[in-house]
Amino acid sequence: MALARVDRLTYWYPGADRPALAGVELEIEAGLTVVAGPSGGGKSTLLRLFNGLVPHFHGGRLAGRAVVAGLDVASTPTRRLAREVGFVFQDPELQTVRGLVAQEVAFGPENLAVPERDLPGRVDEALEAVGMGALRERRVRTLSGGERQRLALAAALAVRPRLVVLDEPTSQLDRDGSRRLVAICRDLARGGRAVVVAEHRLESLLPAARRVVLVEGGRVTVHHDPRAAAAGLPSPPAIVRLGLQLGWSPLPLTPEEAPPLRLRAGGGEPSRSPGPEGWALREVSVGPAGRAVLEGVDLAGGAGEVVVLMGPNGGGKSTLLRLLAGALRPLAGRVERRPGRVAYLPQNPTVLLHRPTVRDEVRFTLERAGDPEPPEVILERLGLLEVAGSYPRDLSTGQRQRAALAAVLPGSPALALLDEPTRGMDGEARAALRALLAELRGRGTAIVLATHDADLAAEVGDRVVRVGEGVARDLGPPALALSGDAEFATQIGQLCPGGPVTVEGVLQRWAAAAPAERAGG
Amino acid sequence: MRARAVLAWSAACLVIVLSTTNPAYRGLVLAAAVAVVVAGVGLTRARPLLVAAATLAASTAVLNLVSAHVGADVLVALPAWLPAIGGPYTAEALVYGLSAGITLATALLAVAPISLLLEPSEVVDALPGALARTGAAVAAALNLVPSLAASFTAVVEAQRLRGWRPRGPAAWAAVVVPVVLSAIEDSIQLAEAMEARAFGSGPRTRLRGPGLGWEDRLVVGAAAAAVALFLAARALGEVAEWDPYPFLSPPSLAPVPAVACLALALPSWPWRSRASTA
Repeated sequence: MALARVDRLTYWYPGADRPALAGVELEIEAGLTVVAGPSGGGKSTLLRLFNGLVPHFHGGRLAGRAVVAGLDVASTPTRRLAREVGFVFQDPELQTVRGLVAQEVAFGPENLAVPERDLPGRVDEALEAVGMGALRERRVRTLSGGERQRLALAAALAVRPRLVVLDEPTSQLDRDGSRRLVAICRDLARGGRAVVVAEHRLESLLPAARRVVLVEGGRVTVHHDPRAAAAGLPSPPAIVRLGLQLGWSPLPLTPEEAPPLRLRAGGGEPSRSPGPEGWALREVSVGPAGRAVLEGVDLAGGAGEVVVLMGPNGGGKSTLLRLLAGALRPLAGRVERRPGRVAYLPQNPTVLLHRPTVRDEVRFTLERAGDPEPPEVILERLGLLEVAGSYPRDLSTGQRQRAALAAVLPGSPALALLDEPTRGMDGEARAALRALLAELRGRGTAIVLATHDADLAAEVGDRVVRVGEGVARDLGPPALALSGDAEFATQIGQLCPGGPVTVEGVLQRWAAAAPAERAGG
Repeated sequence: MRARAVLAWSAACLVIVLSTTNPAYRGLVLAAAVAVVVAGVGLTRARPLLVAAATLAASTAVLNLVSAHVGADVLVALPAWLPAIGGPYTAEALVYGLSAGITLATALLAVAPISLLLEPSEVVDALPGALARTGAAVAAALNLVPSLAASFTAVVEAQRLRGWRPRGPAAWAAVVVPVVLSAIEDSIQLAEAMEARAFGSGPRTRLRGPGLGWEDRLVVGAAAAAVALFLAARALGEVAEWDPYPFLSPPSLAPVPAVACLALALPSWPWRSRASTA
């Protein structure tokens, strides 16, 4: 019998007239299940069904049936289901309850009244499973984001659940943090446990998936072949996208699976001549609270140039953005900026929305900047005209993300600073962001963005700067910085070292190459 | 578990300082508390707290001076018909106020290490088992406090860059609405996470922390000994009470209770600059 079985299930949140899940048929067994789909499509709702947070915590109405580990979800409280289902949420900071690592892991077993003599063993076992045995006595506050998320996973594992569910667990993590977490999920699944992971970025999960569940508009489709599923994903990984474009069969899920691609080196996009200098940091030392996290930073960016900051969390990317925004003073050195408005998109920008309507949000920024452009210009560009009169917090997740972009980046700022803009974004919202960046760049806005998203860096960046270990190092254009075996290489960059780093880049070359050359595999 | 040691020390300071009217002993406890706080967190972090304690003591003294108007040694007299502030200002009232101020300053510094040296959850864990369930909920909620402060700063910064300025109460909506709404969302998320981990299932067990280390035992022992010694001396009439009214007199100081007060300075050695390594 399946570990979890969902039968003709439909669910409405309280007061909603459209169901969040509609007619769901699904079986979960051991191994890795990947849940994909656009923002607001129902992924989180489906995951919360497995431990009964839907409907018991969130309320609402449920029709049909869901059985997890032999328990009927509709009539079993979450605290009972918690014995069988471990849950990891998106934000590592908002799920830690205790001050010390060992206590945090013990919290679940304590609540389930696991005998006290067994608790230390449970804690050690769970911490070992996530590679954190050595951090047992540490304070949670002193851990990195990646460590905190692995701690959350250990805490979920400590009740020895039969099913482990993770809701976008890597969206807040840096490259190393998310790689390690994904590797642990794959190991757990390989060890025979049932693991369900929802994510937007699937490049490392897809190859290990035993089944892929696509959730869109509350409807669920299950694929037992990740390759077949990949073709139907709303925003597939780059290598899948390329494979689909070039008609490769079987469809590759990793760069290693792709056929060799011989593209002539060189050529490519001519480097654009940089505009007049938009900003510069001269011998700058900077850090919060008087303590330098970066020293001797010498960087500059032109008008219309997109500089991408990459590197580990805590390395100083946000600090550099805040320095450029003028929110932080340098401890030494000089910050130069072309006069004009600075637009700053913080992490989680949707919290900034506070006006009665989306149009008001945009007008708020434009009026204070003295920019005569009507709000409708950016609303139309981001596809928000229809909801211009709506309350921002009533919008869907994707619309709200676009509303935040509109609120912060209207008009023609001299300098635009974006802190992890694609965090939690689906394909559609990413496309809107890219279009907006192209527009700003055309208007001569100097752009600096911090991201872990190598694809975004490849698609929009002119230059990549690595920030971390106390220094900022210019890695050059994406074609150099994101290619081959470079630290932040994209899938396409790994596929054709020295060549293009984006799907579009390959397709352009492909179209330009002679047919004989294309065949030369 | 260091929390129990910190709580024991704080309690000892409070018991002694509140069980005597004698400003000499109160002053000794204050000195011990200052030593421990400064050693524990370093002068830089302790400075604002020391300023607050001094301000508290001084303002208590001034308040008593302008409101008491009793005592033999008149420093200055304002006409009696002046409302509230009229009447004689006496040295006795000033000294009595100062003595009360020292008590308040000591109480402030005595509880300071609880927040300076400990995590909220450590404090909760040091509470008796019966409070564990409520305590876990409180500790989890307290975990949100730092993120609330950070969210406030971040929102102010981001809205400023959108051209927002803090002019007038209405303008604060741009900050308060986002901060409050995201705090609500955060607490819902936290509640969900606790629910998913079976919080509130019924009787719960507890992971035993490592026992008290020898340094902690030393602190607990010293705190207990200080209280016992002081209260015994007081019961035997060794601790002279003090009252400045109507005539000012110097407080008397006996060696045994004085030693008890000074024993409270002991943690300044085991707790030295803990904050920098935490």
